[in-house]
Amino acid sequence: MKTETLDRLRSRIVKIDSMPAIPVILRPLLHCLDQPVEQVDINRIVELVSYDKSIAAQCLRMANSALFMRSAPAESVRSAVMSLGMWRVRDLLFSNSLSQVIPANRWVVDPAVFWRHSLGVALVCRKFAEMIDYPDTEKAYLAGLLHDLGVLVNCMVAPEEFRATMEKATRELIPLDEAEQSTMGFRHSDSGRILAEAWKIPPDIADAIELHHHIGDPDRGGPLVALVHLSDLLCRMRDLGYGYYEPRQIDFPNEPGWLYLLMKYPTMAEIDLARFTFALDEYAREVRDLVATVFAS
Amino acid sequence: MANESTLLKDEAAATENLGDPAWIRIRDLIYQVSGIYQAENKFYLLVGRANRRMKVVGARTPREYLDFLTARPNRDSEMRNLLNEITIGETCLFRSQPQVDALRKVVIPSLVETKKKLAFTKLRFWSAGCSTGEESYTLAMILLEETQALLKGWTFEVVATDLNDRSVAKAQEGVYNDYAVRNVPPDFLKKYFKQSGPEFRVADSVKTHITFSRLNMLDDSKMLFMRGLDVICCCNVLIYFDGKSKTRTIQHFYNALMPNGYFFLGHSESLYGISEKFHLVHFPGATAYWKPGETSSKAGS
Repeated sequence: MKTETLDRLRSRIVKIDSMPAIPVILRPLLHCLDQPVEQVDINRIVELVSYDKSIAAQCLRMANSALFMRSAPAESVRSAVMSLGMWRVRDLLFSNSLSQVIPANRWVVDPAVFWRHSLGVALVCRKFAEMIDYPDTEKAYLAGLLHDLGVLVNCMVAPEEFRATMEKATRELIPLDEAEQSTMGFRHSDSGRILAEAWKIPPDIADAIELHHHIGDPDRGGPLVALVHLSDLLCRMRDLGYGYYEPRQIDFPNEPGWLYLLMKYPTMAEIDLARFTFALDEYAREVRDLVATVFAS
Repeated sequence: MANESTLLKDEAAATENLGDPAWIRIRDLIYQVSGIYQAENKFYLLVGRANRRMKVVGARTPREYLDFLTARPNRDSEMRNLLNEITIGETCLFRSQPQVDALRKVVIPSLVETKKKLAFTKLRFWSAGCSTGEESYTLAMILLEETQALLKGWTFEVVATDLNDRSVAKAQEGVYNDYAVRNVPPDFLKKYFKQSGPEFRVADSVKTHITFSRLNMLDDSKMLFMRGLDVICCCNVLIYFDGKSKTRTIQHFYNALMPNGYFFLGHSESLYGISEKFHLVHFPGATAYWKPGETSSKAGS
């Protein structure tokens, strides 16, 4: 997007009081994630979970569900965290804190569809990163999770226009960003970038938010943008998209993002794309369970 | 052959030993041999069906059964038996909605776009290994439906072949029970079938577009005659071929397809590295192999 248009959008968004505020829990969570897995402090995670009664209740409910329950039911937050595993708790914390960013009555899209897509992209992005030996798999996860932040901004700052956009996309079966551009004059990738800057989200993740639909010159955004771009497309092709049918054919190995990653990470050539695609249905179940837990409260 | 209710019972019982890591190895082995992938959220299906084979051969644990599939002298035939179990009950009309959607909403429009430029207004689809005809009729009905809109003024043909004479004869009859037509959209059922008692008979208006014949896909001389196709569907057939025969058959399919043509396998089936020439392409909920277009002058040949 042109800088002047972005500036105009920025001043428009900043003027509005309804700009989403960063969830309280997000900063410490981001901080926790900056450390290597083995150094993440379980006490800190338990503390974060206990901070919010509804999240703590969700953890207990999920830990005691048929899918996760061990020999005895989890009665404390600590035992629930242990039973679910640190990363699943982290997923729950993230999706929960972000789902509180905007009030329930301000959602223009179905929040469950939005979170299924965001969490799906996060999981696929991490898996992708692992497969190609990308060094920071958790960053890939985070970039995937946050890539559509702009949708939240749109719900808050331009609800009516965004509603019309969603209707247009669903009616004409066109990609959401295309409908946004023609109806609103900006895309969720633009508004997401502005929110990312306001929230002081790391610049490479902000780039992934801005460029995930149009990677343009892949060198600008680097591998993280390409990873998010491909994961977003894959999820949309495996029933973890925006909730409507997108009639299109995608030739992944000839996508610019794929070719770029192939150049940077030779292990990309070893990916069995068909198998990876079929295995996505496994994530879909995990994502659905998680989102169902968050929205059951 | 197991009936559906026995299968359901076995699948329910199977949840007991779902967690055994030997299942992952069995799943990976099936994938290597056949290209069929069993996602972990569908493991109950794999386990339920494998349990039936375990009872027959007398394997007490998944680990022991893995041995039957890898170390015993008759391992190849046991793998075939297992694949048979896995693919049971998969045949019905409109079996995979994502594939039907991909054909109607992406593939046919794309073929029309390409062929229109060449003033070539005919489509040819091939149901390879058509069994008792469910897939062939599905394709014909989809195409027939499109003649009201996108394919107005076009002609089309569905070629349906199978190795088994009895299957071909049954396919030609085009008579199905209510279970086989359970996924058929109500308007299609009304338009393209005649119901008499428990039977659903395919209308002649559909039949007239299909040519059924017996064909052995391993017979090179016959396969050479298959040419000028836009779409080939070959679902759960190649899984029974050994590596060499599979490679040869895929090459025949490639040659049989027009540039920009599509090759569909079963819903969770893949070529698993057999052909570099095809491009694996994604549609919502479905994948297919696409033969890239050459120059436009060649595309019409």
